[in-house]
Amino acid sequence: MNRREIRKIDTRIKAIKKAAEELKELSAAIPAVDRNTARILASVKMLEINISDVRDLV
Amino acid sequence: MKTSFNQKDLYWNPVVETLPLRKLRDLQLKKFKRILEWAHEKSKFHRKLYQQAGLEPGDIQSYEDIAKVPKVEKSMMREIQRKDPYPYGDALCVPLEEVTEFRQTSGTTGVPVYQPDTWQDWEWWAEAWAYLLYAQGYRKTDRVFLPFGYNIFVAFWAGHYAAEKIGCEVVPGGVLDTEARILKIQELKATAMMATPTYVLGMADTAKKKLGIDPARDLTIRKITCAGEPGASIPSTKQRMEEAWGAKVYDHVGATEIGAWGFECTAQPGGLHVNEALFLMQLEDIETGELIEEPGRKGKIVITALDRIAQPCIRFDSKDVAEWSKEPCPCGRTFRVIRGGVVGRADDITKIKGVLIAPSAIEEVVRSIKGLSNEYEAVVTKKGDLDDITLKIEFLPEEEKNREAILAQLKDQLRLKTNLGYNIEVHPYNSLPRYEVKAKRFKDLRKHG
Repeated sequence: MNRREIRKIDTRIKAIKKAAEELKELSAAIPAVDRNTARILASVKMLEINISDVRDLV
Repeated sequence: MKTSFNQKDLYWNPVVETLPLRKLRDLQLKKFKRILEWAHEKSKFHRKLYQQAGLEPGDIQSYEDIAKVPKVEKSMMREIQRKDPYPYGDALCVPLEEVTEFRQTSGTTGVPVYQPDTWQDWEWWAEAWAYLLYAQGYRKTDRVFLPFGYNIFVAFWAGHYAAEKIGCEVVPGGVLDTEARILKIQELKATAMMATPTYVLGMADTAKKKLGIDPARDLTIRKITCAGEPGASIPSTKQRMEEAWGAKVYDHVGATEIGAWGFECTAQPGGLHVNEALFLMQLEDIETGELIEEPGRKGKIVITALDRIAQPCIRFDSKDVAEWSKEPCPCGRTFRVIRGGVVGRADDITKIKGVLIAPSAIEEVVRSIKGLSNEYEAVVTKKGDLDDITLKIEFLPEEEKNREAILAQLKDQLRLKTNLGYNIEVHPYNSLPRYEVKAKRFKDLRKHG
């Protein structure tokens, strides 16, 4: 997997994170959305650990 | 039975698992600085520790600088716990309401330490386990049986979640007794299992003697992941397990306050890979504290979990002893290998009659002798001013007729491998204690009067 592909994945991760953070701001009154979004963000962190953290080293 | 996996598909994350060592160092430094800054900002305990050492996070600019950061010992964690914010104390870096998981250490070396985790930390636990299970060949085609009563200890919880993350089908065998677990494995044609070495051997024994089932012939378990005890890295114990089950047995190493930081891969290189993407593991000379980078020299493990946030683990003095392997692993991972796994604990290596000995050396000998059962117990006492060591063993019932030859072989091997003479006590088969987790087969009674 080359640097270009890694950067492409990282861009998508950032987009998911941004969307999830916006969703969390909107959803404080709906626990079902708020808590599921918190879980999405924890999964996004794993994507960052696996890809975003290493993006500039590949 | 479910089908086998694609052998070419080796890595959970091929990007980091094959990263050149120099780049892994860069990644570790970047992440170390991040977790250090986090702990300094959020944890009173860590901030005070670093202030007392005159250290600011900005002082860490190079990989070598990391050695300036003070180490944390388990005793320090014990001291802060059961205080505010209750029950974790002031190393907690997140609001209490963000904690979703409670675990505690087993208390093998003293008062248990409490470990809080956020949901993100719990995802990270499962991620670390996913690296190791994938390296051991677990795939979504596997049906994984967990013959383990999940509880307040972290053991196998993360294995369960990681197997799910990989896509395996997970069968929790918690409250069943041993016989019921074996029958369920047989019924479901489970392909993989996770357990302590003691229990892996105990299950095989029960299957044969009580159910007339030969696990190697009659069951479909083909890989077993061990945890909790060093047995799967002790060659003679590993061989006993692999022969009994007709399966590959893989070791892994981790701890409640650290995470799952090391694993054996399918290449079985005679040691464990350190997951250098998620952890920074450093070896220090036991006497001088000098950093050991070269292979073949034993040192004490000092370890950092690079992404764990609720109660960070930064330069934790684990007291475990290991040495770097000379050879790279044929699996192609650049994560370094510790030869023979964790070979002991700095505070377990003890002097008996003037000879330094690690308890695992006794296990290696006992389990290498075919006529002996899996159980044994070594007891060290004082007779006057002199050390005395007694080894309690059992013969397998079918080997009683060879007892003199077996005893002679045992004494020879013990003398050769441990440089000690033992009082040998033979006990009836099945009379020594049987364990499910954390077996205590080495008892040093000198320390307790």
